[in-house]
This record gives sequence, C-alpha cells and structure tokens, in this order.
Amino acid sequence: MLELILQTCVNAIIATSFAAIFAVGLMLIFGVMQIINFAHGELYMAGAYTVWVVYAENNLPFFVAVLAAALVVIVIGLLMEVALFRPLRGNMLGGLIVSIGMLFILQVLAVHFFGEGLMKTILSPYRGAWEVFGLRGITVPYQRLIVLGVASGLLALFWVFLRRSRLGWALRACTQDPEAAALQGISINKFALIAMAISAGLAGVGGAVMAPLVVVDPHMGSSVIIMALIVVIVGGLGSLEGAVLAAIIYTFFHTFMTTFFDGVIANILGLVVMMLVLVIRPTGIMGTSEKS
Amino acid sequence: MKTKVTRRKFLAGSAGTIAGLSLAGTLPKRSFAHEEGEVIKIGFLGALTGDLAGWVLPGLYGVEIWVEQINAAGGVKVGGDWHQIEVISYDDEYLGAKAVTGAKKLVLEDEVKFLVMSFTTPVFAAQPFLTEQKMVSTTLTPSDMSPERPYLIAPVEQHPFYLVTGVEWIRRNRPDIKTVAFVTQNDELGMNSLATYAAAFEVAGIEIIEEKLFGFEITDFAPVVSAVLAAKPDMLCLDTAYPDYINLILEQAFLQGWQGPLIGASLDNYPAIIAKTSQEFLEGYIFHYPDFDDPRLQEPDINFTNAAEFYRVYTERHPGAWNAVSWEYAAILAMWKGAVEAADSAEPMDVFQAMKSTDAPHIFGPAAWWGTEVYGIDNAPVGKWPVVQMQSGKPVIVDMADMRPWLAEHQDVLMRHMKDRNVI
Amino acid sequence: MKKASSPWTKGLSLGALLAAVCVLPFIVKPFQLEVLIFLFINIVLVVSFRLIAITGEFSLAHVVIMGTGAYASALLGKWFGLDPWLTMLFGSLTAAAIAYILSFPLFRMKGFYFLIGSFAAGEAIRLSWGRFRGVFGGSKGISAIPPLEIGNINLGMPVPFYFFALAWMVICLVIMYRLEKSRLGLTLHAIHWQDLLAESVGVNARHYRVLAFVIASFFAGFAGTMLAHYLSVISPHEFGLGIMLSVLVWAIVGGVGTFAGPIIGVVLLSFVDESIRAFDEYRPLVYGIVLILTILFLPEGLQGLPARVTLFVRRFWRGGRRETVEARPTGAGVASDRPPPSAS
Repeated sequence: MLELILQTCVNAIIATSFAAIFAVGLMLIFGVMQIINFAHGELYMAGAYTVWVVYAENNLPFFVAVLAAALVVIVIGLLMEVALFRPLRGNMLGGLIVSIGMLFILQVLAVHFFGEGLMKTILSPYRGAWEVFGLRGITVPYQRLIVLGVASGLLALFWVFLRRSRLGWALRACTQDPEAAALQGISINKFALIAMAISAGLAGVGGAVMAPLVVVDPHMGSSVIIMALIVVIVGGLGSLEGAVLAAIIYTFFHTFMTTFFDGVIANILGLVVMMLVLVIRPTGIMGTSEKS
Repeated sequence: MKTKVTRRKFLAGSAGTIAGLSLAGTLPKRSFAHEEGEVIKIGFLGALTGDLAGWVLPGLYGVEIWVEQINAAGGVKVGGDWHQIEVISYDDEYLGAKAVTGAKKLVLEDEVKFLVMSFTTPVFAAQPFLTEQKMVSTTLTPSDMSPERPYLIAPVEQHPFYLVTGVEWIRRNRPDIKTVAFVTQNDELGMNSLATYAAAFEVAGIEIIEEKLFGFEITDFAPVVSAVLAAKPDMLCLDTAYPDYINLILEQAFLQGWQGPLIGASLDNYPAIIAKTSQEFLEGYIFHYPDFDDPRLQEPDINFTNAAEFYRVYTERHPGAWNAVSWEYAAILAMWKGAVEAADSAEPMDVFQAMKSTDAPHIFGPAAWWGTEVYGIDNAPVGKWPVVQMQSGKPVIVDMADMRPWLAEHQDVLMRHMKDRNVI
Repeated sequence: MKKASSPWTKGLSLGALLAAVCVLPFIVKPFQLEVLIFLFINIVLVVSFRLIAITGEFSLAHVVIMGTGAYASALLGKWFGLDPWLTMLFGSLTAAAIAYILSFPLFRMKGFYFLIGSFAAGEAIRLSWGRFRGVFGGSKGISAIPPLEIGNINLGMPVPFYFFALAWMVICLVIMYRLEKSRLGLTLHAIHWQDLLAESVGVNARHYRVLAFVIASFFAGFAGTMLAHYLSVISPHEFGLGIMLSVLVWAIVGGVGTFAGPIIGVVLLSFVDESIRAFDEYRPLVYGIVLILTILFLPEGLQGLPARVTLFVRRFWRGGRRETVEARPTGAGVASDRPPPSAS
C-alpha cells in the first residue's frame, strides 16, 4: 500500500508539472488580451506534431524537435494574435468565437497532413524508467523526468522574468489590469505579442515533451483544454502562483481518485472539488479582481 | 463518365467559391464509382469528424478500397447484368439528430440500397425510420440489436462473444494463471467486454482481483496502471478499448515493470508498441484481430476475397491507420455482395431474406444467426473467430475457435454477468 | 438605425413568415424537414441561452441543463410509466430545479469564473450519466423513449412533429419575448449594464440573475424533452461540449444584442453546416473559416448585417459622404461591452 501511495505521488508530481505550464499559458492570454483561447489545446497538438515530423520522421535530435515545436507554435500563435485577436481587441466574445474557429481549422489541417486513425507513436529518446531512489516498485519513466525538468525549468524562468525584469513587471501589470496598464502608457499590442509568444511557446514545448507519452492525434487538444480552464479559474486569474497551486491541488486529487476509485469518478469529483473551492473563494485561490 | 454529382464533383465546383480554401485542390482522391451499368448505391453513416472519427474513418478507407477492387473486377452481378457500386457517406458526428437526418437523406434522396452505420445512439435514433422503410442497416455492436429493430443486423462483429475463445485458450494452455486484473474503458465496448470476460474467467476458474475504469477525458494512464499492478494479478486484461489507449496502457505497464501475460480484444499497430516496449513484453499476448496477410486468412473457408491484397493496398495508402474496424465495414459489404448475388436482387428486403435464409457466410467461415437468448432477435451470426497470439513480434492465428459450444453451455453465466453490469 | 417599421408591416411580415413556414413541410425534402425540426428545438435552446446572457453571464451548463430535462422526462416515463405529456412538464421543471440548486454556487461567481464554473458543474452532471449505468444507462443512454401522441396522431412522425415543434417554438418565443419586454426583462438588462447602480436603487441583482437562469433552464429543459421524445434515444454524448460550443457560436455569431440575433445565428449557421456536408471530414475547416470571417467583418454578429448594408447603400448613394449612422444596434450588445483599451 505504501508503495502504491508513493507511486501515485510520483505520478501526480509529473502530471502537475505539465498541467501547470499548460494552464499558465492559457491564463497569460486571458490576462493580457481578455480572450479565452479555446485553440490553446490545438497549439499543444501542433507542438506534438512538430516533434513527430522533426524527431520521429526526420530523425533529428529530440531537443532540436522541441525547439522547432516552440518556434512553429509561436509563429502560429503570433499569426493568430495579429490576424484574429488584434482586430477584435476588447471584444471578448468575438475573440472566443475566432479561437473556436481556429480550433476547427487546426484540427482539420492535422487530419489533412497527418491523417486520421491511429495515434502517431513517438519513441522517447530516453527509453526505460528510473526506480525512484532505488525503491523497487516505484518507477518513473525517463521521458516523464524530462517533462518534469523542462516544465519546472520554464516555470522558474518565467517567474524570474515576471518578477525581476522591467518587461516582466509591465506584463504583470497588463494581466492584472489591462486598462490601467494602457493608461500608464503600456502598449497592449506589444504586450499581447509577448504574451502570445510565451503562451504559445509553453503550449508548444508542452506538446513536444508530452508527445512520446500521450495520444498524438488531431483531437488531442480537447482533453487538456478543459483541465486547463478549470485550473486557471481555481488558481485565480492573473496569478501565476495561483495557477501552479491549483494545478497541484487538482492533479494530486485527480490522480489519487483515479488510483483509489476510478478514472471517471476522479473526473466527476475533481470538478465538484473545484466548484467547492470556487464557492469558498469565488475569484479563485489567489485571484484578486473579478473580471468579466 | 456518367454525370453524377458525387462528393468530389461538389468539391471541385464549390472550391472556387470558398475564399482561402486552397486545400480543396489537394484533397485526397476518394474515387468511388466507375462508368457503365446502373450503379448500386450504398450508404455510409458514421462519425467522420470529432473524437470518434479516428475509429470510423479507417473503416471508410477500407470500404473505398474494397469498392475499388470489386468495381475493377466488374462489380456486382444482378439479373445477368454487372453493376458498379457507389458509396455515399454522411457525417453523423455520432449524434442522434444528425443520424436521423443522414439516414433520410441517404435512403430517400440518394436511394441507397444498404446502409452501414457505426454503433449505439446514432443507430438507435435512425432505426424507427429505417424500420418503417424496410431498409437493412448494420451495426458494429450486436448489443444494439432488439426486436423493435428487425432489419438492424450485426453481420460481422461478434463482439463481445468471441472474447470467450481467448479465455478458453488461456484455460487450456496456461493453467498456472489464477487471477486477473482489468483496465476498462467506460463505454459500450468496454462494459460489454468486461461482462463477457468476467463470465469467461468465472467459467475458467480465474478470479478477478481488480478492475479500473477510465473515461475518454483521460490523459495519463500512469495512475490507472499503478492501481491494477498493485493488486499483483497473474494476468492483465485490457478489455476492449480504443487502440490508442491500448498502446498507452501497455507502455505504462511495461515501464512500471509488468512482465506477466496479457490478454485483450485487440492489439492494433503492434510494431509501434513493440518499439515502445519490447518483443519479449508482448510475447504471448492473446487477442482477436489478425493482420489480413495471415496465411490462415487466405484459405478457402474465409469469405473475403484476397485478404492479403486488401491489407497491402490499405497499409500502403493509409500508413498507420489499420485498426480493428479497418476491414469490418468492407467485410460487411462482402457479405452483402454475396447476399445480393444469391438473391439476384439488390432490393433491401430480398437481400435481407437471402442473408437470413441460410447460415451466414461470415468472414471467418460459416456461422449461425443468433442473439434471441440475449437480445431477443437472431440478427448476429456467431461462429468462428480467430484467437491470435503474438509470437516473436508477429500476430499468429493460433486457433479458429467456435464460440457456439461455450455459449450453449454457459449462457446463464454470461447473462448473469451482463445483467450485473447493466449491459442488457 | 433602421427605418422605424410600423407594427402593421412588422405583423404582416411575421405573418407571411409564419405562413411560409407552414407550407414548408409539404415542399421540402424529408431530410430537410428533419433539419428544420431540430432547428426549431435549437432555436428554443439558443433563445433561452440568451435569456441568461442578457444579465451579463454566459452559462456553459446550458446544454447539460437541456439534457437534465431530457433525462428526467425519459426516466419518469420509464420508471413510472407516466404519460409523455406529463413527463415533459416534469422534465422541464426538473431542469429548472437543478438550475436553481446550481445557482447557489454559480452565482457567487462572475464573468469568466461563472463561464468556467458553469461548465464544470454541467460536466460533472454529464459524466455522472455516463458513469452510473444502473440509473442513467451509461454511455449508451436511454432508448425506446415513447413518442408523443395527440388523440391518435402519432407525433413521432415528421410532419405532425414539425407542426408540434413549430407551435411550441412559437409559444416559447412569444413567452420569452414578452418576458424580455416586461418589467422583469428591463431589470435584467439593467443589471447587466450597471450592477451597482441597479443595486443602489434597491434591485437585488443576484435574485434577478437566478430568476433568469431558472426560467431559461426551464425552456432549455423543455427543448431537451422535445428532443428526447422525438429521437426516442438520448445519451451523454448528445449533450457534450461540442453541442455547447455550437450554442455559444450560434448566439454570438448571430449577436446576443437583440432577440432576433441568436435566431438568425442558428438558422444561418445550421444552413451553412448542412450545405457543406459533402466535405465530410473537411467540413469543420469550412465552418471555422465562416465563423472567423463573420466575426472579423461583423463583430456585433449577423444581426448587425441589415444595418451595415443600409449604411453601405446610403454611403454609396451619397457619393461616399460620411454618415454618422450607428451600425451597432442598441440593447445588451456584448460586443460593445468593453471599450477597447486603446480607445482612451
């Protein structure tokens, strides 16, 4: 039993790290641009497919594929910002609709270029698993350690950027109150580009490092976007720490429920617990302002 | 070339009018009908978009290849004339409302003579209309059958009943296995499979010590697999699940140190799974979906012309799409073609009579129409189904097992488990 | 602004529209008739969705609420053998009751929190239908739901059901329209615009939001019962996120600013969706492009189209002289809700 509990903790830690970088990206877009980017999951998908092309099909090193994924997805993200979100600045619902439109388009493009049917199988560059501190029965695959390392590294970098640089400070101002930031002379368009690049980059890298671990198919985005939306509001909009904290709470709860009850019960109870948190704190754990 | 507004023609005509759709010119060719003769139309109603498309679209690919091959060989012979076959598809999005609309369009507008559908809700929703029209339609899950749906048949898929043959094989060949743990997909495939496996394991004297359900929202199989492995079973049963989930469950089991025997309904894309795990890991895996180039499937009792060629063309044209349903719709149409030629008519009721009047020419050999005991109507053929085992990294048919003796003897056990799990 | 149309011309055009709709089932093809029937049900759904939207909140639980109506009606019929007419009423009331219970946690939240909170609440209900097979039938749902009958007319048949659905749609629309024009409706609009102001003159905003939510859920539940008894089968997948996103898209693309907006949205987009069926797996791509182009060029939704056309025509006639005609309609135009940050 102790073994199973420890293994479940290990499983949960890994799942948390991915949930956190994915959700933080989504939150950033909402904070700066007031847009719920429903296509965020499809950016993650684009990252995974880039790894498929670069690493699995063309045999380039994995880290090259991850960088390529980040670049490709950042380009898609910036195009979305310039062509779709910028003309609709201030129109939250319009932004939502174009992101849904983008979701359809990206999914069909994936079907067109990569086919429908079985998932793409991408082999991890580091196969096998590590027995945690030599304990028998508690293992963590190397690829999952890569996810953990990359995700926590990026989060730490992002945190330092937000807290220690002028640009980061301004970005934070944008997420907390875009109108006030605009009054302070901060150009929303410029920071929207920066936010989109960071957000898309996180989604792309997330998709890239997760690609050997998950179902890589045109619909892979839909299962993660729901989790991320919930994590974002439970954490509290505009709060990086909140998103991370919510990701920890949600994934630990969900992982333990899956192990000790079942996967469907875990989904139901996960949603119920999130609702309860919001009843107690209607603006999330770390959220301060109510945004509409 | 006969003038017919097919899907492709429509695309060509409308492509220019839709700005920005530069893709239309490069759409993959889906050439259905040939020239000459009166064309017989067949409807394909299934989810072509959305999450389930990954499961249904490969079936449509198989239908296209089969139709091409049949048309190239002359088509179907009715009343001394050769007729080409045309397949018309409609996306039901796996929704009842769209299925009703699609069924009416295909039957009344396109005048199809036969309708292949996917399973559950869309099938149920379209049935009142199809029954009234006396239109024969098919499902992939026999559990959809009911006396209220007299013309709905499950002509190929004998899921979940064939699963008992795999368990019987284990009972005979692996008496050392005493306990089993399940990973189950929470849908009609998974639950029917679980009930049948449970009955078969009970008969075989193997105890179920752990069951874990998962839903479609799942992204990480590590917790599910950790939980079943912690029960320390002799064998792991993967039940019936979508191929991608099987892939990830097996990888997790491998990484978490599982070395024991494995059983499940299918093992699609096994080369990828071997690459992720190891050949030794999958050695001995018992399942039920052979590759179609298996020598056993080229023998005369198999009612599917040139299975190996079909398999070759399929895997060449759609690399990585071959799954358990890739051949099933095509096999349904092969059975339909046999019935059309036997009846010397393509009219739905004639074909239906011809199909039901004799033993069913099922793809895996002669089979008897069956189902009354469980579903109240005899619209599914049961007979032989392959038991496939992984041997040195290749699936090998180790048995063409007849499931009828087991069903006759242990029907009460099966019914009890199916009732317990609310699948009937 | 459009030329103020007199009540006469308005009534006349509505009458003509109604007459045309009554003739339709005898001239369209059977499968198009199905499209129209589901369209009527969806119109009730999307207009009731807007009823919540005018208070400023978007509920992503709406389709699941519709499903609770459908499930309640189907289960009551199955368990107690009640007449479908009765179960339809109880089904709609159940939807309203569930909405009332959900309103306690949900209306503590606002805006984006409400949007996602409502989704989470709905999804928890929907997943329960799939998980608890003994009660809700699991993923295959409930089938063989009895059809409705009036005397000995079986409403399971398309043409009778067409008129049945049409009649109920008109009744629901009239009720919701009257409601919006009533004192209650004006209050709802008011709390959307000025929460605090409304509070300060003694209006309990939360109370009115809950009221709108419950009434809208009643109508959504009713739409669900119609769907259940017509299709004779329901399952969790029929009320999934995909459908919810469709409702959201219909409402916003049509324009939530006016009563007619969402109706225009659902009618036109259903038509587009049906006319591009031949694209099979490429259909969502075309649909996505249509959505994006519509929103980019008509940010206030399709309902703003007539005003835009008028504006364009006038400009054209007057040789490009600038007009100060406001293209955006008045009302709760959510599109114009937030001034662009750069505007200041």
